[in-house]
Amino acid sequence: MFISLQLLHMSVFSQSFSPCGRFLAAGNNYGEIAVFSLSAALSPDASEASQKPILNFTAHDGPVFSLLSTDTHLLSAGNGEISAWSWAELIKKVRISCSVNDNSLIVGGGDNNIHIMDMETGIFKSVLKGHTDYIHCLCFKEREEEILSGGEDGAVRIWDARTNRPVHCIEVFKYEECARPQFGKWISCLATDSDWMLCGGGPSLSLWHLRSMSPTSVFPLPGCQREAVFYQDLIMSVGEGPHVSHCLHGGTVKAQIPCTPSSLNTLALNLKNSEHRVMTVGGSSHQIDVFTNFSYRAFSLSF
Amino acid sequence: MRTQITSSATVMSSDAVKKRKPKVIRSEAGAPETKRGRAEGDQDVRVYNEEVELEVRDPQQDYMLYKDTCAALAKLMEEIQELKAGGAKVQSVEIEERRTQCSVHFITLKKLNRLAHMRLKKGRDQTHEAKQRVDVLHLQLQNLLYEVMHLQKEIGKCLEFRSQHEEIELVSEEEFFQEAPAEISRPHVTRDDQHQLTLARLDWELEQRKRLAEQYKMSLARKEKIQKAIEQKREYLSSLQPGLQNIMQASLPVQEYLAIPFEHMQKQAEVARHLPPPLYVLLVQAGAYGQACDKNLSVSISGDVDEAKALSRPPEDSQDDESDSDAEEEQQNTKRRRATLGVQLDDKRKEMLRRHPLSLCVDLKCKDGSVLHLFFYYLMNLNILTVKTKVSTTTDLSGAVSAGELLNSESLLNCLYASDHGKETPNPANRYQFDKVGITTFGDYVSDLGHPFVWVQKLGGLQFSSGGAQSGLTGSALSASHMERTMKLLRGRLQARLALHKQFSSLEHSIIPVSSECQHLFPAKVVSGLVRWTTMSCQEFTELGFVQHVLKAGLVHETDLFFMATVERGTARLRAAVVMNPRYPEVAPLFSLSLHWKGERSGRTDDNLQAMESEVNVFRSELQGPRPGLQLLTNQIQRLCVCLDVYLETESQVCDGSEGPKEFPREKMCLRTARGPSRLKPFKYNHPQGFFSHR
Repeated sequence: MFISLQLLHMSVFSQSFSPCGRFLAAGNNYGEIAVFSLSAALSPDASEASQKPILNFTAHDGPVFSLLSTDTHLLSAGNGEISAWSWAELIKKVRISCSVNDNSLIVGGGDNNIHIMDMETGIFKSVLKGHTDYIHCLCFKEREEEILSGGEDGAVRIWDARTNRPVHCIEVFKYEECARPQFGKWISCLATDSDWMLCGGGPSLSLWHLRSMSPTSVFPLPGCQREAVFYQDLIMSVGEGPHVSHCLHGGTVKAQIPCTPSSLNTLALNLKNSEHRVMTVGGSSHQIDVFTNFSYRAFSLSF
Repeated sequence: MRTQITSSATVMSSDAVKKRKPKVIRSEAGAPETKRGRAEGDQDVRVYNEEVELEVRDPQQDYMLYKDTCAALAKLMEEIQELKAGGAKVQSVEIEERRTQCSVHFITLKKLNRLAHMRLKKGRDQTHEAKQRVDVLHLQLQNLLYEVMHLQKEIGKCLEFRSQHEEIELVSEEEFFQEAPAEISRPHVTRDDQHQLTLARLDWELEQRKRLAEQYKMSLARKEKIQKAIEQKREYLSSLQPGLQNIMQASLPVQEYLAIPFEHMQKQAEVARHLPPPLYVLLVQAGAYGQACDKNLSVSISGDVDEAKALSRPPEDSQDDESDSDAEEEQQNTKRRRATLGVQLDDKRKEMLRRHPLSLCVDLKCKDGSVLHLFFYYLMNLNILTVKTKVSTTTDLSGAVSAGELLNSESLLNCLYASDHGKETPNPANRYQFDKVGITTFGDYVSDLGHPFVWVQKLGGLQFSSGGAQSGLTGSALSASHMERTMKLLRGRLQARLALHKQFSSLEHSIIPVSSECQHLFPAKVVSGLVRWTTMSCQEFTELGFVQHVLKAGLVHETDLFFMATVERGTARLRAAVVMNPRYPEVAPLFSLSLHWKGERSGRTDDNLQAMESEVNVFRSELQGPRPGLQLLTNQIQRLCVCLDVYLETESQVCDGSEGPKEFPREKMCLRTARGPSRLKPFKYNHPQGFFSHR
């Protein structure tokens, strides 16, 4: 009975697909990470059991707020610590945390700073200071090697990755068309696609043109958006409210697809594997919705 | 026989009669009647006896004469006729002559007639005489025959006569001759004479009988004497009985003093012999457990011992009774057919659900003086045990309205073990028995007969095959293995309920009783307060909008108790629907929240409210309080109030103030007001620093 109580009060905060694209890792508010086998869940003879995790372990004391997959490892971040798990081991249903052999990891923390860590050595290379409140979201522009960060203080800062210096600071809440004072000024989602940037949170989700640093379209979505991604010519975002919103660049909301959780925290697209091209969303429920066709919910994985 | 003479001279025949009469008188030599007969003249002289003449004449001749005369007469008449027709005068000589001849012929005829009559009479007289003679003889014959018959009858009767003496069984002849003294037997006479022999034998019989009667009288007298002696001795013995009783009574205080309730135990053992086996097992095991481990447990037997004895009587009596009652029932049936069809079924049902007259009463005493009384009954035909409960407390428990259901004897022992509802009989064989008498569910009778919980069956050593795992134990071993745990659970249940009762009465007064051991869980100042605490029915609960997720997850059962708590601060009102499992505090109450402040929010729509729910539902192990965890509910409610405080105070912080003064100034110390993508508030209280943080 306690398990079902736990399930009742579970929220999924983060997701990440494996490098091969056949597995999904999800982290919840109890500090557990569950690994699901997508190939089993998507196969024609999938049953209830295949919608359960193949591996479920406690990774952190606090909630697992973000998960990130590198080529070989799964990085999970909780309340103050980052752990790295080997995907190979996870797939074999064993969990060992070990060092990684990649380049740098950019970590945005609750201490209002962005830390860049060298993943080989595990030493923090540099710190980017500037935010006045904790950082919600980070994204990286590979072309210009710029880091964008958004935080609780309502500012989107753009940093140069090479020099580690702030380049721009956009205070979204100051723009009238975006601002929604009744919700607040915090920015909880960021996404970039070459010259474009999506940001949302307290202010409405808006699409910005980075060269001109001005909002081009504002999306009339009712709740606060927590995660948004660019996909082909669509923008998909999730947040408060039990639906995934499909929006067009022009600023119209094309569709709102209903989901099981009452509010969504995370959205992930599995683009690495063409066989298992799915979108998964998780939120304040123990169930993770899987969309095989992005227009409707196919089934749910359950913790 | 009378010759019919058809003549016109009828006058003459009457004359002839007159004339005849005196002649007859004369021939009978009677007194001659001389009154009539003037035409006769001198009768005394002329003795004219026509009878004599009768013997002389020949009837045949007379007959011929008659014929001739008639012919002559006819001829004369013809001549007269001719003459008259020829015109002769009436007074002519021929006619006169002829007329005279006719008259002569007539006289002849008359004589012949007389003779005929006289012949006839004579013949008749002769016949008559002969007949008379025959009659006389016949009569004599009859008389004789009659007498013969009579005599024969008498002879027959005499022959059949059985004298009483033949009914007396006499000793056989040889014995008689051997035993009887000589003066009675008189062999010289009796050997020859049968009659004398019989007489002698009868005499001997009489002698013997007299002697035996004497002996009999003497024996009777002796018997009387001995009887009297026995009576005296009996009286003496019965006079001893009260003396013994007095000694027993006097020894009771001694027994108590020495703490050997010998007599009480003996009495109980005596009654226990009549208990049905499951109750006996329960008695023995409970008694043993009470003696060994738990001084506050006591067992006693109550009920009607005589009825119990009656049940165990030999079956022939009961069979007779059954057949009698069956016969009676059938009689009744034939008389009033319609009325008894349902009554018969009812009676059969009652018979099936009959309880054994003896029952066990187990008392569990708690430290605060309240007692849980358990009454165990055995249903004979169904072979199951049932239990009824009663709680008696030292203090009066009428304070709390919402606590009405807590100590309700119907639901007090619900789900002592998980899913043991006690509504259905655990014995699968009963299903077939119920079908026969039309009982659909046992649940209808539970309030009368008690609850047939599975643990009750186990305590009585009754094991029914159910889906679960079977232990190999039966009887006493089964009972013993469950006794300790069940008693502990029972006691725990009682204490939990009593504690809840007290807590409810203070909750209804809007005071959340937090004991000193639990103060550290909460900050010193809690502004939100409980304003209402009410109980709800299952129906009302399921109709609430914000509890659907709990219902869908299957965490709500019919046997649960439902409550609504309302916490308020300022304009904000938080409603919490509580589902309490009967196994509280093993199973924590489940809270579902709905907040009414600037709109309606619930745990489904607001992530922070969901976080508050998980604070009280999931992290409840911190809120248990000191063992046995009876303060869980009140601690949970207190935590809700604390979380509401945090929620309201940090909420106004988050919004960038376009409104005026904040309704709820920030008083709680928080490290951070938001964390994570859902920007949850810090609900965790840290003691003793007194600040709030995220989990």
